[in-house]
Amino acid sequence: MLTMLAKLLKALNSESAPGQVALAFALAVIAGLTPLFSLHNLLVLLLAFIIRVNLSAFFLGVAFFSGVAYLTDPWAIRLGESVLQQPALIGLWTEWYQSDFWRLTAFNNTLVMGSLLLSLLAFVPVLVVSRLLIVMYRDKLLAWIEKLKVVQVLKASKFVNVYKSLAD
Amino acid sequence: MKQWIRWSGLTGFLLLTALMVSFFMLLAGPLIKGAIEHFGSQAAGAEVSVADVSISINPLGVILTDLQVADADQPMENLLQFDQAVAQLELAPLLLGKGIVRDLSVENLQFNRARQTSGALTEQSPSGSDQQSADQQSIANEAAQQSSGGKESALSDSVSARLPDVDDLLAREPLKTEQAGNAVQQAFDEHQQAINESMAAVPDADALASYEDQLTALLSTDIRSLDDFKQRKQALDALKQAFAADKKAVAQARRVIRQARTDLAEKLSALKAAPSEDLATIKSKYQLDSRGAANLSALLFGAEAGEWAEKALYWYEKVKPYLASEDSDATSTNSSTTAQREQGRFIHFPSDDPWPEFLIRRSRMTAPMAGGQLAIEASDITHQQAVLGRPTHVVVQGQQLTNIEDLNLEATLDHRQSPAKDSMTLNIKDWRLREANLGVAGTRLTSAMVQVQGLAIVSGGRLQAKADAQVSQTQFASSGKTQFARELQGALAGINRFDINASASGDIGSPNVTLGSDLDKKLNVAFQQRFKQKQQQLEQKLTERLNAKVQSYLGGSAEDINRLNQLDGSLSDKGAQLESMAASQLDDFEAQQKARAKAKEEEARRKLEAEKRKAEEQAKQRQRELEQKAKDKLKNLF
Repeated sequence: MLTMLAKLLKALNSESAPGQVALAFALAVIAGLTPLFSLHNLLVLLLAFIIRVNLSAFFLGVAFFSGVAYLTDPWAIRLGESVLQQPALIGLWTEWYQSDFWRLTAFNNTLVMGSLLLSLLAFVPVLVVSRLLIVMYRDKLLAWIEKLKVVQVLKASKFVNVYKSLAD
Repeated sequence: MKQWIRWSGLTGFLLLTALMVSFFMLLAGPLIKGAIEHFGSQAAGAEVSVADVSISINPLGVILTDLQVADADQPMENLLQFDQAVAQLELAPLLLGKGIVRDLSVENLQFNRARQTSGALTEQSPSGSDQQSADQQSIANEAAQQSSGGKESALSDSVSARLPDVDDLLAREPLKTEQAGNAVQQAFDEHQQAINESMAAVPDADALASYEDQLTALLSTDIRSLDDFKQRKQALDALKQAFAADKKAVAQARRVIRQARTDLAEKLSALKAAPSEDLATIKSKYQLDSRGAANLSALLFGAEAGEWAEKALYWYEKVKPYLASEDSDATSTNSSTTAQREQGRFIHFPSDDPWPEFLIRRSRMTAPMAGGQLAIEASDITHQQAVLGRPTHVVVQGQQLTNIEDLNLEATLDHRQSPAKDSMTLNIKDWRLREANLGVAGTRLTSAMVQVQGLAIVSGGRLQAKADAQVSQTQFASSGKTQFARELQGALAGINRFDINASASGDIGSPNVTLGSDLDKKLNVAFQQRFKQKQQQLEQKLTERLNAKVQSYLGGSAEDINRLNQLDGSLSDKGAQLESMAASQLDDFEAQQKARAKAKEEEARRKLEAEKRKAEEQAKQRQRELEQKAKDKLKNLF
């Protein structure tokens, strides 16, 4: 965990494009808020591996948003119920239901449908906001944090040793 | 763009995927084995063990080897076991966590087989309700054992009570015969004394002979004189007085004897009627008739039918929770929506191939039975029939069965709607039944040909079941030595065909089971004959014994009564003799006196008439002489 956090900090402090880290967070929203073992998450994982996003940020984000999911699940389920039972969409869902592929996506599961819609809705905002936050962090917070006494103390700790070993 | 693509990531992704597949392949077997044993044991309440679980890739499937499910009630017995089960899984639903089994084949499925080790769960401490349930089950088992064990004795006792032993019965019952016999004995003793007293005053044969002699002496010779007559008259009067006294004594004795005879006759009549009254009472009390056998067939077959029904209900209750209706399914999903927020629920849409959470599309099992095997085919086994849109069908077919020509059972478990409706039909053709122990008095049905048709419907927790069986070519045998066993064997010997009609209705948990049969009627008739025969024998024995009792009460008194009768007759003769003697001899004496007087009178009258005629002749002569003289005088005058 410390290693992963160190890697995240390294990514944040490195020259990596803020967009790569922000995209990792955005993808993590999908994988974290929706049930992990879903077909679409296989696609998300594939994208996370192929696209040069920060994997540490991705996995950390998955862990974080999986925790957040406990709070959002009720909303997601309610949303999924509503969408799946929309009379206008019943025909579409019925058509999809005839296909093994679509059924493999578990689209007819209220949580999958609701959380996927929520995460997709959150994808762009998270991408944008996290990118802005990363830029702000690098511009303003990084120098200020370096001067904090707490950080000075921490630099002598194991955490920093790990960080340095990774940085080297 | 190159900055955004990480091709090495693809390798990582593939490695990760391969790692997951390898993990699944290597650990799936042990995980499934552990899951079956852990959750199976929890569900069964007893040890569930699987020797091996392996995964096959093509076709994707699971192979279970040597699965044993112990019986929670009888840990040294397996509820079921099989040698091998092969389940072919469908991959796509499996990736969604749905267990869709395309084909399940189970080999050598067996029930209630003995185990080598106990299957009891030692670590599990039963909860209060479980313990209570176990206690209730234990009590029920105990009661069932007592019931089955005590059935024979109860029935035997019951029927033995109807066929009592003569000695016991006579010793046990307050008999009127005894009371009447005692009354006869007491009355005879009382009358005997009175008769003896009265008979003491009655002249005996010697006295009567003396009377004869005296009378002869008095009347055989002529009376010589008036003094002689007077003397004889006095003697005769004295004899007449003695006759009168004796006649009075005889009359008194006869009255006493007649009174005794009348009294004893009444009591003897009562005594003679007493055995038949006792017999009637005994017959009534101990029901020496066939009514007691009316439900014998139910007693004979009821327990066994009950066991079958109990087993069927046991398995039905086990299966039922897994065949929950749409109503209960909706309830469970509603509750799961609130309790398990992370999982949501699947909304199913119309499809030709719906995916319930669990489904066995087709299942084939074989179970050894009666020299052959039962081929059990089931289709669409799922707890979500509403999702599948089809009910579960089960077809059981007998194959190469030694004793059954054809066995066919079809069941449809329809839980698509609430209330659920489960139906079952059963047909057994030419079932050559051999050595079926009836469980009563060592009686066995050694051979029979049975045809069975059954129908059962369960709807809304209510059971309606009916089964008809035609049992023909029956042959019974009995090793019982009891009287009941002999009677039952005798009654069954004359029956070679009967029908059985069973029905069950009511709550599935406690249905009202009835078992009827024309065996009842036939046994009724047979028992009627046997009972009639037995009754006649018993009546004869009772009559003999009661008559013996009567004779024992009467004993020598009967001879005394006969003697009384003879004595009464003798007294009657004597009285008549005395009367005759007295009357006839006195008549002779008076007649003699009268005859003598008459003779004297006649002689005197004859003398008088002779004298009278002589005088008249003399008068006439004198008249004629006078007339002649007159005429002569007149002539002379003229």
